Amino acid sequence: MTNGNAKGMPGRRDGVFEREPARRVFAQELRESRVHFREGQDEKSPTFVLLPTGARCNRVFFAGTLTEKKKQGEQNMFYRARVVDPTGTFFVMAGSYQPEAMQQIARLEPPCFVAVVGKPNVYQTPDGAVLISIRCESITQVDKDIRDEWVLDCARATLDRIEKSAGTPDGDRARREYTIDPGLFRKMVYEALAQLKI
Amino acid sequence: MDFSHTAERISQKITSHGHSVEKSGIEAKLKRLVEEFGVPPAEAERTVLNEFAREYDIPGFQGSGGGGAGDQKALSLLANGEWVTVECKVVALTAAPSPSIAQTGIVADESAAVRFVVWSRANAPVLEEGKWYRLESAVVDQYKGMLNLKVHSGTTIREVSHEGTLKPTITPIKDLAPGVACIRGKVVQEWEATHDRILQSGMFADETGAIRFVIWKEEGRERLNPGGIYTIYYATVDDFNGRLSLTLNTATTVPEEGDIEVNTGNSLFEGAFVHLSPGSGLVRRCPVEGCNRVLSRQNYCPVHEIQPNYHYDLRIKGWLDNGEETREVLIQRGETEGLVGMSLDQAKELAENNPLGMDEVFLRFREALLGRYLSCRGREIDNRLLVSSCELLHYTPDQLADLLNRAGGSL
Repeated sequence: MTNGNAKGMPGRRDGVFEREPARRVFAQELRESRVHFREGQDEKSPTFVLLPTGARCNRVFFAGTLTEKKKQGEQNMFYRARVVDPTGTFFVMAGSYQPEAMQQIARLEPPCFVAVVGKPNVYQTPDGAVLISIRCESITQVDKDIRDEWVLDCARATLDRIEKSAGTPDGDRARREYTIDPGLFRKMVYEALAQLKI
Repeated sequence: MDFSHTAERISQKITSHGHSVEKSGIEAKLKRLVEEFGVPPAEAERTVLNEFAREYDIPGFQGSGGGGAGDQKALSLLANGEWVTVECKVVALTAAPSPSIAQTGIVADESAAVRFVVWSRANAPVLEEGKWYRLESAVVDQYKGMLNLKVHSGTTIREVSHEGTLKPTITPIKDLAPGVACIRGKVVQEWEATHDRILQSGMFADETGAIRFVIWKEEGRERLNPGGIYTIYYATVDDFNGRLSLTLNTATTVPEEGDIEVNTGNSLFEGAFVHLSPGSGLVRRCPVEGCNRVLSRQNYCPVHEIQPNYHYDLRIKGWLDNGEETREVLIQRGETEGLVGMSLDQAKELAENNPLGMDEVFLRFREALLGRYLSCRGREIDNRLLVSSCELLHYTPDQLADLLNRAGGSL
């Protein structure tokens, strides 16, 4: 993705509100993430998941297939959903703090293609396993065209991180914190792309 | 300590201006300052001299020592914290925002223009617009990156005559910094006012860039014509949360002939549509001429109150995201209808025949837009893209081979 004259326009300087970008990440890479940190001391400071390919991630955007949805809880009702991409599964949640996303899930009938915007969270189960789930901001039904477009977009973004993150603070931190070589994710990208029609 | 020499000096200076003073009185004043109040002798001399100068209305001398008046400076050379003497013309007067301020406005010389403040306690003569003055011992300070000239009780003011006319320099918009500036350009946009004290707000552009402007409601202030070319003398450039904006209440606006080629800001941003903001979809606008604000659910305009004869409009407010950066986009009705595949009439019909009313239109917009890849062109201001044209992007396998090569290259 390109953008035009972003910097250097008048008025575009520090202090302007900037929305956290939604990273493009395949399910398999997100599942390997463990490091969850908060930037700054404030209770409302954003939290980030450190991706093994070396980028911080406060929000994700992905498109895939909704395969399952489940309503849970009585008083604090929430939805759990599974969204599958070519490399694995995203676990999506929408609770009473995301009423709009809940209504959106309620209307969806799996299986269908969906586009999801949400925030990743890292949980540890009592038996020590680590789970990453996405707190859903929005989930909309899309067609296969968008799903394929996303696979290209995500492949490009992932390759960019693999090739360019070394030497950046987050890239170096990922190499310290994770034992996985970011280069190994090339294979995942290749396999994801191989499923698209030429 | 002997004060007779000092007193003699002061006495001579006063008499040279045609007044006579008792030397013993001067000595007593000096003695009191130095011995009773611990004032350094040089400062005491200055204080006493100033006191007589004020008493006899003798302009133009300041004793040596102490802070001093400093040399006469061009306004462009002022720096924060300085005591200065300047000769300048009052080019604008504005309403004083507080009773402790007697006058505010803008003074200019050939080099630059700055805001000035005259404190009420300064007991200064009233400055008149268009006249030249010599200000001695004014203080320069800085607020939000903008220099101010402060006239306090120690400042002496004298009207002076000045040869020639003042020719202000025009600053290109991209070079603006907080302070006072003159610019020439075009009113490229007019926005709905966000506050009932705002007379007009919008966008002003020249060949180099664009900047938002605001005119606050005030006696005798008039709106600018959208699309009009103006030379604006002595506008205040403010820095608010890192954004620059022009306040035109201090300014003189002169309509100009002809047209200029403005920087139309043809920025391109491509990304996924990740958030549809409230206020998108079908909206009702205030029918009052030149207002056009979006009304609340109760058809309430923040300025013109209840407006039952609103007109409908369609728009999209939301966020595009390319994975690295985000842009807020604002899309007007023309492009909106094409993107969402719904005309204004269809939207009105939908709202009228649906229990959720206008909310139903918002929900349809959300389902039609979220997760889609868009390419938007338009003018960019402060991370916000005012979209003039946009299209949906579709999957094309063109890049697939390249990406496969990149991914598989080292397998």
